[in-house]
Amino acid sequence: MKSLTRSRGIGAVLFVCALVAASGCRQGDDLGPVADPDALTNIRAAFSQGGESADDSAAMPTGTGWATLKGRFVFDGVAPEMDPYNANKDEATCTINGKAPLQETVLVDAATKGLANVAIFIRKAPRVHESAASPATESAEFDQKNCVFLTHVFPLTVGQTMQIKNSDNVGHNTNIEGKNGFNQTIPAGGTIDFTPKKEETVPVSVRCSIHPWMLAYFLPRENGYYAVTGPDGSFEIPNVPAGEELELQVWHESATGPGGALVLNTPEAKKRKWSKKGRFRITLPQDDVEEIEITVPASALGG
Amino acid sequence: MKLVLRKLALLCCLAAVTVVGCDYPDPDFRMNMVEAVSNDTGPEYQQEISDVLGAMFGTPDDRHAMPGTGLDQGRLRLAAGPTWTAEGGSNHGLYRRHCVHCHGITGDGRGPTARFLNPYPRDYRPAVYKFKSTYNPSKPTDEDLRRVLANGVPGTAMPSFALLPGSEVEALVEYVKYLSIRGQMETELIRYVYDELGEEETEDENGNTILDPNGEPVMRRIPLDVEKDAEQREVILEILAEIVDGWNAANDEIIVPEEEQIPDDVRSAAEIAASVEKGRKLFYGTDANCVKCHGPTGLGDGQQDDQDNWNKAHKLFLASVAKETDPAIASAKEKVAETLYPVRNAIPRDLRQGVYRGGRRRIDLFWKVYAGIAGTPMPGLGPASEGATGTLSEEEMWNVVDYVLSLPYEAPSRPQKALPENPNAISSAG
Repeated sequence: MKSLTRSRGIGAVLFVCALVAASGCRQGDDLGPVADPDALTNIRAAFSQGGESADDSAAMPTGTGWATLKGRFVFDGVAPEMDPYNANKDEATCTINGKAPLQETVLVDAATKGLANVAIFIRKAPRVHESAASPATESAEFDQKNCVFLTHVFPLTVGQTMQIKNSDNVGHNTNIEGKNGFNQTIPAGGTIDFTPKKEETVPVSVRCSIHPWMLAYFLPRENGYYAVTGPDGSFEIPNVPAGEELELQVWHESATGPGGALVLNTPEAKKRKWSKKGRFRITLPQDDVEEIEITVPASALGG
Repeated sequence: MKLVLRKLALLCCLAAVTVVGCDYPDPDFRMNMVEAVSNDTGPEYQQEISDVLGAMFGTPDDRHAMPGTGLDQGRLRLAAGPTWTAEGGSNHGLYRRHCVHCHGITGDGRGPTARFLNPYPRDYRPAVYKFKSTYNPSKPTDEDLRRVLANGVPGTAMPSFALLPGSEVEALVEYVKYLSIRGQMETELIRYVYDELGEEETEDENGNTILDPNGEPVMRRIPLDVEKDAEQREVILEILAEIVDGWNAANDEIIVPEEEQIPDDVRSAAEIAASVEKGRKLFYGTDANCVKCHGPTGLGDGQQDDQDNWNKAHKLFLASVAKETDPAIASAKEKVAETLYPVRNAIPRDLRQGVYRGGRRRIDLFWKVYAGIAGTPMPGLGPASEGATGTLSEEEMWNVVDYVLSLPYEAPSRPQKALPENPNAISSAG
């Protein structure tokens, strides 16, 4: 009897402790660090001295003349089969003979194995050729038909006008994320102009809220040193600065790197010192037309 | 005797736990982990970013606003820090008194009650606000934020703070902007670190790359060392200036309707009916497309498969967790994913209830029709910025406003809600 009481007593103490431990003292699910008081004070003191402009010698042009960078992205592996878009609204317009169009996440040319819709662009150009400084055309058309954006990866030079067209007989709205922010209704058969003002460091998504399966990517850049690979995987960036190092960013919608950075671990990519951010550096001699071929294994696109 | 001892032990245990165990620590600003792990920000960079943010914005109990933020120090003083009342009766710690339980200490919309609310409280950190008078991508004006505080957001858990003295509302508006600017700076710092810092190859004194025994280059992490690196400081001050410019520009980006297009306050029943009829045609037409989301009955039962920016960001993040191939990053992402609330779809407004979250004045509805609702699927019908082309004319947009305002009173107003469509119906056929 006595031992029973004792064990009950101990049990109660344990129970209360367990209860408190389990529920009472839960401190939430906060992750991540907190500012260190000493570091904070020192940095604040440094800020009060202001900053100092970047050492311009690093960014100063060191080369002269121009060159052309062209090449191809070649897919290595079995090209994935694309599923149809989940077109469950306005079927009369958004499907063709009852079938929804196929998605465009990974497009590989059957004959050449070329990989389409890879964006490649110079991160920071030390100099800009006049042909790349101002856009060749004032505007570029961005169309949609059968509830599919007809240009899947759409680059633009800041200052150019994007003519957002709707070739369908139903209304769409074009919702562009990122620094420029745009979301406007595009009437059936109509066109709305949009002139982005800010550059993006990687392509941002373009969607239609009325037909949420619709998806494209938009890349506004300060200068014309960008290209998006065509159906055969080829690209060309003319008139790039020669005689100095250029850093190129490579992006693909399905690439596994942060923000869609195309990360490659192939021996040829290693030779180019391809980074974990999908970047590589290259220096071209004057008037050179450099042709590069880059193999993209299926694993780099999550395959 | 022993029984007394045991009781005493039990009491001591409880007392000890009460005194020690459940002590709430000082609140901290925690990092935006979705941004951090999405941008591959390692623990060292996370600490350095936290330190820089701490230097620029202080801590919850010791706030700091650099002069470059342009924020009003006096107002922030009233709103920030712990709650207390001075002898003269002035209230301090207003944010923690009125806001923190929903909007959270960082303004991340994750206070203790947030999980139970629908819609979730606003996350201030992306600095995107829905109910405002400016163009879609523009920041709200102070007046816009003040109006939300004064009226609350009808149909949500956000109450009206109309009973607070004006000075306290001003202080809270300032603090919301402070948390927003801090949140923007945090995201920009994370992206700056990803874009410009990271690892680089090391070189010996002759400029040759140092290789490890396997012939791979030895990599070195470039620290975010704002204390020593004046260039980094300069870049960060430029980023701050750009963020602050965005806020300052809001007053120049207000949508001011053309005077002659604004319908008269006093109109005959026939005039109103004519405008409503025009608005009805636009509502169902393929120019304005309102019907697609708000539904053929206006009950908000059209397109319901989309999300607002905040929920979509989490949805995309969760999708990236499933796809992650690097085990270390995958585990970091999973930890963050566990803390997220369930993703909710953006349900278009039921226009027959006569409840308008952003205010029920005609100008409030006009702004929404014109600019859309920032951060949501709702698109605008007016020009996207000054001088741009609109989808509808201002007169037509006022017609839509008249039609929308007539919907709750349309008799007999008992339409049936459309049944949800089977989302797989077409994909299986294709």
